[in-house]
Amino acid sequence: MAPPLPPGLTPSEVGFLCEMEHVTVIPRQTLDGLELLGGPTGALKPPFPTPLPLWLALLLKKQRRANITPPPWLSVEALTQILDFETDERTAELFSPSPNLPPATTSAPLGDAATARAQADALPYHWLEIGHLLITHAADDFDDLDAVRKLLRDLREVRMSKLRKGFEVLDAGGGVKMNGVGGMEIAEVRGFVGGVVDGLRRLNRSREESRKERETEERENGLGSSSYRDDEDEDML
Amino acid sequence: MAARLRGRPAHAPGPTYLSYTPNGKKLITVGVNGALRVFQHGSDNEPAIIDVLTDGHTAVASTNDFIVVGAEDGSVTKYSLLTNSMEEILVRCSLPVRDVSLSKDGEWVAVASDELAVKVVNTRDMTRIMHLRDQSRPVKHVSFDVSGSTLAVSCTDGIVYMYSLSSEQPQLIKRVDGLIKTLETDAEANAKVAWHPDGRAFAAPTATRDFQCVARSDWQRQKAFSGGHRADISAAAWSPNGALLATAGVDKSLCIWETRSQRLLKSYDDVQNTILAIDWHPTDNVCSYTNNNGELFIREDFVPGEHAKHLRIALQPSPMNNDPLSEISGNARKQLSNGDKPNGVRRSAEDQYLDDLLGPDAMSEDEMDFIEDDDGAGYAEEMNHVGKRSAVTDAGRPAKRHAPFAAWKPQIHEAFQPGSTPWRGDRRYLCLNMTGFVWTVNQDTHHTVTVEFHDRQEHRDFHFTDPYKYDKASLNEKGTLFSCRPSTQTQQRAILYYRPHETWTTRTDWRTQLPAGEEVTSMSLSESCIVATTSKGYVRIYSLFGLPLKVYRQKSMPAVTCASWRDYVMTVGNGPVDGDGTTRMLYTVDNVRRDELCQSEDVVALREGTELRNIFFSDKGDPCIYDTEGVLLILLHWRTPGQAKWVPLLDTKTMDRLASGRKDETYWPVAVANNKFHCIILKGGDVYPHFPRPLLVDFDFKIPVSSFPAGGVEDEDKDVAQQRNLEEQYVRASLQHALASDLVDSTNSTSAQRAEVPVLERDVDKALLQLLAAECREGEERGMKALEIASLMRDRTGKMLEAAGKIAARFQRDILGEKITQLAERRLVGLVDEEDM
Repeated sequence: MAPPLPPGLTPSEVGFLCEMEHVTVIPRQTLDGLELLGGPTGALKPPFPTPLPLWLALLLKKQRRANITPPPWLSVEALTQILDFETDERTAELFSPSPNLPPATTSAPLGDAATARAQADALPYHWLEIGHLLITHAADDFDDLDAVRKLLRDLREVRMSKLRKGFEVLDAGGGVKMNGVGGMEIAEVRGFVGGVVDGLRRLNRSREESRKERETEERENGLGSSSYRDDEDEDML
Repeated sequence: MAARLRGRPAHAPGPTYLSYTPNGKKLITVGVNGALRVFQHGSDNEPAIIDVLTDGHTAVASTNDFIVVGAEDGSVTKYSLLTNSMEEILVRCSLPVRDVSLSKDGEWVAVASDELAVKVVNTRDMTRIMHLRDQSRPVKHVSFDVSGSTLAVSCTDGIVYMYSLSSEQPQLIKRVDGLIKTLETDAEANAKVAWHPDGRAFAAPTATRDFQCVARSDWQRQKAFSGGHRADISAAAWSPNGALLATAGVDKSLCIWETRSQRLLKSYDDVQNTILAIDWHPTDNVCSYTNNNGELFIREDFVPGEHAKHLRIALQPSPMNNDPLSEISGNARKQLSNGDKPNGVRRSAEDQYLDDLLGPDAMSEDEMDFIEDDDGAGYAEEMNHVGKRSAVTDAGRPAKRHAPFAAWKPQIHEAFQPGSTPWRGDRRYLCLNMTGFVWTVNQDTHHTVTVEFHDRQEHRDFHFTDPYKYDKASLNEKGTLFSCRPSTQTQQRAILYYRPHETWTTRTDWRTQLPAGEEVTSMSLSESCIVATTSKGYVRIYSLFGLPLKVYRQKSMPAVTCASWRDYVMTVGNGPVDGDGTTRMLYTVDNVRRDELCQSEDVVALREGTELRNIFFSDKGDPCIYDTEGVLLILLHWRTPGQAKWVPLLDTKTMDRLASGRKDETYWPVAVANNKFHCIILKGGDVYPHFPRPLLVDFDFKIPVSSFPAGGVEDEDKDVAQQRNLEEQYVRASLQHALASDLVDSTNSTSAQRAEVPVLERDVDKALLQLLAAECREGEERGMKALEIASLMRDRTGKMLEAAGKIAARFQRDILGEKITQLAERRLVGLVDEEDM
C-alpha cells in the first residue's frame, strides 16, 4: 500500500502544475497549431515568438526545435532590483509584491506571468519553479546564466530566511503574513510549519486533556466540589 | 645626418627621463640630481636650469605652461615653464613615485607610486583627488588616453587596469590580463601602455618582447610589432600622427616601425646605454631620448629620408585586424570630397598615396599654417567640412592640421546595404532579416561566410570559404545573393553571385560580372528579381536565373540603397541639396514587370540631422523606413503616383518600457511583420548588433498621437489614458484599413486579403463605438463630439449606427440618439454625409 500523502500539494506536484504556465518561444521550425486539453496553441512560424505552455516549450527545446525567451523578470537587472527590495531594511518585513492582477477577463485561465510580456519588477507565483526549469533546460537562451542563477539562489535564501523568521512567532494563535510568497516556497515550508503547528497543538492538547481528565475524575469522585470552589475563590481574588 | 650623434650630458649619471611640451618648443629632462633642464627646441644653447630641492626624479610630464615631476621621495611637484620656478607640491606619497601622466587638457595628473593606490590629482586644485584602489600590487606606469577619460594603469602583477574617469567616481572598466609582464617597480624594462593617437587602440610591451596593440572597443588583441628586440622593451612612443612607432629595448636597441604594415623600418645600432624614455617632437622629424646614464640625445632627421613622408601625412588609424576601411566595407563608402571623411579620423589609402606623390602642399599638415598655433589655445583647430570640430582628431594630437581652402561641397548620404553591419572584431553581419542571417569572418587571406536560417526545418544552414571576400548579401526564402567589390590587384571585377536554396534540378547558382570599374553600392533580392545599384549610377535588374532584364540610369545619384518586394523595386538616391547642406534623399518605386512607376523621385521624409537606418518592405508589401531617431514610418497610398505619404507607425523613444528613464537602449530594425515591429535591442550605446546573435524582440505599433501620462495611478488619469488609447487605436485601425484596401484595389489580391478589409473596417468602427461610449459617459454637453464620432463610422449597412444609437440610449442621451437615428436614415436613403460637411 502506498504511504498516505501529506495534506496539501507536495513540491513535485507544484512543480508539475507550473508547467501549465505559458512561456514565449521562438520556434526554429514550423508547426501547425495544436488542439490541447489546456486550449489551442498558436501555429509556430519561425522566427515569430509564440506563447506556449511550459511543458510543450521544454519538449520542443529538448528536441532543439525552439528557443525559449526568458521572461523579463528573469533578467539580471530585474532580479537585482527585486533582491534589493527584499534586502532593503525599510522593506525587510515584506516579501516583494506579486505582479498586478490582469484586468478581469473570462477567457484566459493562465496569464502572461512567464511570457515575454510579463511584468518585469515582480515575481509571479511560480517564479522558483519556472526559474529553475528554464535555467536547467534552456541554459543557452540566457545572456548571463551564472548571474541569474546566483541571484535566484540569493532570492530564495533571503525569502526563505524571512519565512523562517516569521515562524519564530508561530504560536497556537499566531499568524504570518505571506503575501507574495510563491507556490514552491509554500510547498517547501508546509511540512515544517505543519509539523510545528501540529506539535504545538499536541503540546497544548496534553495539557488540556490532562485538565479535562482531572476534571472528570474529580466529578466522579464527587469530593472535588469543595476544592474546585477553592480554586474558583483563588481565581476571583 | 646633420649632426654627429652626441649625447648631451643633462644630469648626473643615472636614470633620466624627458618630455616634450605639446607645442614642441621645449624639452624637459629630469634625472638623479637636484636640477631640471629645459631645452629650447632647435637651439644649441645651454638649457635653462630649474634648481629644485628634490633629487632622484623618476618621471616628468608637461603641458605648454607647466611640468609635473615625480621624485623618489614621494613628492609630485608642479613647476611653471613661464617663470621656470616651482609652483606647488601637488601630492605626497609615502613611497617613491614611479610614473606621472597628464591628461590632454592638463587638468588631471595621475601618479603611480609604490603605494597600492593610484592618485589622480587636479593640477589647479590639489585638494581634488581621486584614488584608484582596485589593483593588488604597486603600480609601475599610468597612461591617460587621448581624450583623458580613460586611464591605463600597468600594475606589477602583470595586469593592465582600465579606469574610466569620466564620472565623479572613477570606475574600473576592464582588467586586461596576460598583456604585460610582471615587473618590479624599479626595473628598467617597461610595461607602459601607449595609446595610439587615434584613440581606438593602445599598445604595450609584452613578455615576448613584442609591442602588442589592443582595441579600445572590445579589448581584443590586434596587430603586433614583433621581432625587433632581443630583450625587454624599455621605452616606446607613437609618432604624433600615429604612422610610426619608436621602441627601445634593454639590449640597447632602438627601432622605428611603420604602423600600417607593422614593418621594421630601421634599427639603430649606435645606442650606448639603455634608453629609458623616448618622445617624438610634435611636428618635426626629431626624436629625443634619455638613457640610464644621465644623457639626452636629440636626434634630428630621426626617420630616414625615404620614410620621412610618414611623418607628414594625416592621422593614421591604429593597426586593427579588421578595420572598416573604405576598401572593404560598403557601409563606409569612399567619399571623394576634399579633406577628411565626415568622422574626421581616417583618410583612405589612396589619399595618402596622393599626399606622398604631391609632397607637402595644402593637403598635408605641415605647410600653409597661416595661424601658428603656438600656445595650443585651440583657435587654429581644424574644422571639417560640416563646420564642426571633430572631437576625436583634436583630442588625438596637437592641433596642427588646418582646413584647406576649398569649395563648399554638399554632404551626401552614404550608400548602405539594408540589414548589414560594419566590421566589429573580425566579423560582421552581411544580412539580418526574418528569414535568417548571413555573417562573415575575416581570415586575412579569405573570408568564411555562414548562412543561418530561423527555420531550420525548411532550409539547411550552410557555410563556405569565400575567396572573393563578399561584402554584401541579401537573403530570402528562395535564395541568397552575394556581391563583392572589384579588386585592383587581381583585376577581378565586381561579381554578383546568386545561390538558390532549393531546386528540382541540380543547383543552378550563377555568377555574373559587372563591367570593369563598376561596383555594387547596394542590392536587393526579391521573390522574382534581383536589383543592384552601382557606382556608375545604373540600376541593374536581373531575373533569378541571372538574365539581365533591365538597365537604367537612376535619376537621383549617387545611390543610397534599394529594396524590393516581388516586382516592386524601390531605389533611394541623393537628390538636390537641402537647406542644411545635406542632400535630400529621393526614392522611386517601380514595378519592373509592368514597367510602371508608382512613385517617381518622391522625398524620403527624414528630419534634419537624421539618417536612414534601414529600409525594407513589410510582410504585406508596404515600404517601411526606420531612422536614427528611432521612428518607424510606413508609406501609405504608394501605388498611386503622387499620393504617397509617410505615416509614423511607432516612435520607439515614447515606448512604455523606456518611460521609467532607467533603460538606455536603442533598437536595430529588422522587419515589420504580423502587425508588429521586429527588432534587436541594443544596449549600452551600441549602434549595431553584434555577436553572439541577440534574440529578436517584437513591439506593437503605437502611432504617436499623444504622449501618454506615464504611470498614471489615479482614476482620472486612467480615464484619460484610456481615452488616448482609444484615439490611437482609431488612427491605427484607419491606417491599416487604408493599407489593406489599397492592396486589394490595385493588385490581384487573394481571397484572404479581400476578406481582411471588412474585418479592418469593423475594427475602425469598434474603436469609434468605444470612443462614443466614453463621450456619452462624460455627459450631455459632449453630445456634439459624440455625433461627430458617429458620423465617422465606415459601415454602410447601418448596423454600427444602430449600435451607436443603443449606446446613446443606454446613457439616456435622447437628443444624441435622435440625431444618430437621423444620420442613419440619411445614409440609408443614400444622402452621403460628405455633402453635409
